[in-house]
Amino acid sequence: MINFNIKNLITSTTQIVLTAIGASLIIILLGASPIEVMTSIFDGAFGRPEKIVKTMLIFLPISLASLALIITFSGGLWNIGIEGQIVLGAIGASWVAKSFLGESVISPYIQLLVGVSMGSAWGLLCGLLKVKFNVHEIFGGLGLYFVGSGTIIYLILGPWSKKGVASTSGTDIFPQASWFPTLTSLNIPALPILIIGIIIISIILFLSFSKLGLKLKATGINPGSTNKFQFSSSGYIYLAFMIGGAIAGLAGVFQASVFYHKLVPSISGGYGFLAILVVLASGKRVIPTLLLTLFFSAMIAGGSQLQLRLNLHSSLISIILSSIVFFWLVVNSTPIKKNITNLLERGRNASL
Amino acid sequence: MKIKIRNITKRFGYVLANNDIDIEISSKKIHALLGENGAGKSTLVKIISGHYNPDSGEIFINDKKLELGSTSSSLKNGIGILSQDPLDFQNLSIKESFIAGSKKFGENFNEKKIEIEINKAFKKYEIELSLNQKIRSLSIGERQQIELIRLLFENSKIIILDEPTNGFSLNQRDLVFKMLKTLSSEGYIVILVSHKLDEVFELCQEATILKSGKKIKTIPIPYDKNKIIDLMFQGEQRKVIQKKATKKNTSGKININLSKWGFSSSRGYITPLTVYNEGSIIGVVGLQGSGADLFIRDIFDKKIDVQRFIKITAPVRGNMVKENLAPIPKDDNYYTPSDRLERGLFGELTINEHVALASKGSKLISWKSINNSSNNLIEEYEIKGNPNILANQLSGGNQQKLQLALIPKSPGLLLLEQPTRGLDVKSTGSVWEKIIERSKSDISVIFSTTDIDEVWEYSDYIICFSGENITKISSKGSMKKDDIKFLISGLESRK
Repeated sequence: MINFNIKNLITSTTQIVLTAIGASLIIILLGASPIEVMTSIFDGAFGRPEKIVKTMLIFLPISLASLALIITFSGGLWNIGIEGQIVLGAIGASWVAKSFLGESVISPYIQLLVGVSMGSAWGLLCGLLKVKFNVHEIFGGLGLYFVGSGTIIYLILGPWSKKGVASTSGTDIFPQASWFPTLTSLNIPALPILIIGIIIISIILFLSFSKLGLKLKATGINPGSTNKFQFSSSGYIYLAFMIGGAIAGLAGVFQASVFYHKLVPSISGGYGFLAILVVLASGKRVIPTLLLTLFFSAMIAGGSQLQLRLNLHSSLISIILSSIVFFWLVVNSTPIKKNITNLLERGRNASL
Repeated sequence: MKIKIRNITKRFGYVLANNDIDIEISSKKIHALLGENGAGKSTLVKIISGHYNPDSGEIFINDKKLELGSTSSSLKNGIGILSQDPLDFQNLSIKESFIAGSKKFGENFNEKKIEIEINKAFKKYEIELSLNQKIRSLSIGERQQIELIRLLFENSKIIILDEPTNGFSLNQRDLVFKMLKTLSSEGYIVILVSHKLDEVFELCQEATILKSGKKIKTIPIPYDKNKIIDLMFQGEQRKVIQKKATKKNTSGKININLSKWGFSSSRGYITPLTVYNEGSIIGVVGLQGSGADLFIRDIFDKKIDVQRFIKITAPVRGNMVKENLAPIPKDDNYYTPSDRLERGLFGELTINEHVALASKGSKLISWKSINNSSNNLIEEYEIKGNPNILANQLSGGNQQKLQLALIPKSPGLLLLEQPTRGLDVKSTGSVWEKIIERSKSDISVIFSTTDIDEVWEYSDYIICFSGENITKISSKGSMKKDDIKFLISGLESRK
């Protein structure tokens, strides 16, 4: 058993090294030094306490979106509509912040309630479309996302527009009371971090130790057999979408009231789609997903340093990020992985 | 024209699917390949079509040797297969499907010309369809007719029909058969693969009977039906005979209510209400594709009511004992499907996870206690595997035993769809040992099978299916084993 795990570890390490080499080649092609780029990014992400907080603010929504996707993937569902669920969460939070409750100290907590419910409802809608009307969740999810993002634009230009001008730069900043309380002068978002911690532990318990989680997993593997075990697969499809939507909605609340303090058109930041990549690349497992999310958050946070330090355009970071994902998916593909394992095996036998 | 099949042998692992098969088929006589499921018919067809490469043997078409194991060579030599399910494009119109599916017209086709050609063929074979109709809107019979015309357009000279009439109405069957007869008289070789005797008698002039991969005999048709049946089913004992337990609970009675059921009872044997002793084993037998499996599923889906007689004591005027019919609760219906990994188990879950899913009670899982129960079940049911093995890593027999092991211990109605399908003799024996063990305490066991030996060996009551019709319901004591083959092959009894 232990021997087996060491073998896995060596394979993974080899895969990471190969991915790093691939990404380095791309960076060299872009005319920069991989080492300089990476140290600059690392410094930009973790160099000073306030930079760590900034990285954390990016980590929050991506990790939530990833956790939401782990739930829906467990149920065998492609929740492409996650972006829409994030958007709905943000709309819910803004709604509260813009209402008479906005000036009240309980505003953030009401935002949590409303945003999470709205994200969850948006997810459930996608599940209903799938089960009741046979609309594939990718199709339904995309449709619901377009409805959500259309609604945001309408709200920003219409009912919630800035005083005097309607601008796509977003709504007015929320009243201070509607911001999530932070700690120290560094503005550490303690409550969101606490909530994420609870969610992570709950999900691990849910998926590994609860019958509900096991039934969800079983539904994902083979809905055809659930009937025989006297439970209905559609119930678990709803459950997955409701939980996933709720967590995604939470990400939306944080985007609106922790990160921007207002509603902006691109409130979801594409983090939902990024999270799909992250979750797939880490084999839909919780801990690897969180590690990869941290890495990606650091890349995004540190990427803004590229321009200042190396005079590289900061948008290059997305090229680097996508090349990393690309190379990882290649080295993690079945044929390549098998080859790596075989090569390592042969190397070990030769050295013995 | 002539096709000669010489000494074809094909082995899959331990199974000899075709064993030294020798057949000669010429045009003008429609030829049937006749045999039970697993006789080797489909393997032979796939060898002729080039999908399988035989281990040895040769095929000649008009004395020209056919290159084996190559579908393109078979196509070039005029071999066309009409498969069970029409392989067509649902979204295209009839005309489009001809253009898309046929090489005949090449890249630069003239639509008008094609229309004329198709219409000519339609007229000749009396097909009344408009070329703009979508394939989707056609019946299976009509789709098979179109497929046949397409084969002709591909210059097929040898047309093999692999059990083509599943899902046909009588009318459609007549249309397709009429067309086949015309083709045969025009010099095409027509080969019908079937296990339906009535069909073979209607269409064919010659039949080769296969059994367990071997050619038994080629016979002219018409032929004595009894002799054909004896040839098809000639009995070698295939199953290990298990000494049947005698002691069981036969005090109560159960009642299968067929009155609400959709299937017809055209033979008039059945009465809608049927009573059995509680604790008995009821075997439902039919050829592959018959209604026997559906019968089991319909009980599980509550489309057929199974009720129990419950004795109740009425406190009026002393203790009067009354019998009442009560339906068996859905929770007490324990069902195991024949396609174990599709509808019975979760391929990528472990034995432990299955045991946890089947366990009653607490919402949280204690993997330690689950692991213990798994180990007990593995020992009790003699499953070869450990608690952490995935269901799809188990052999078929062990998957079946796992299905049985997951059934709750409390007495229920066991609904087993082909419980020994695809299992070897040894696994079959040990699966039945477990079923019989359980049946002593269960309300009843109802199982389906395609195997006459199996149904005879293990059942107290036997229900026979021919196609979708029930042809007989009887206790084993009041029927003869030899009758079963008639009852399931669609022929009336020997008389």
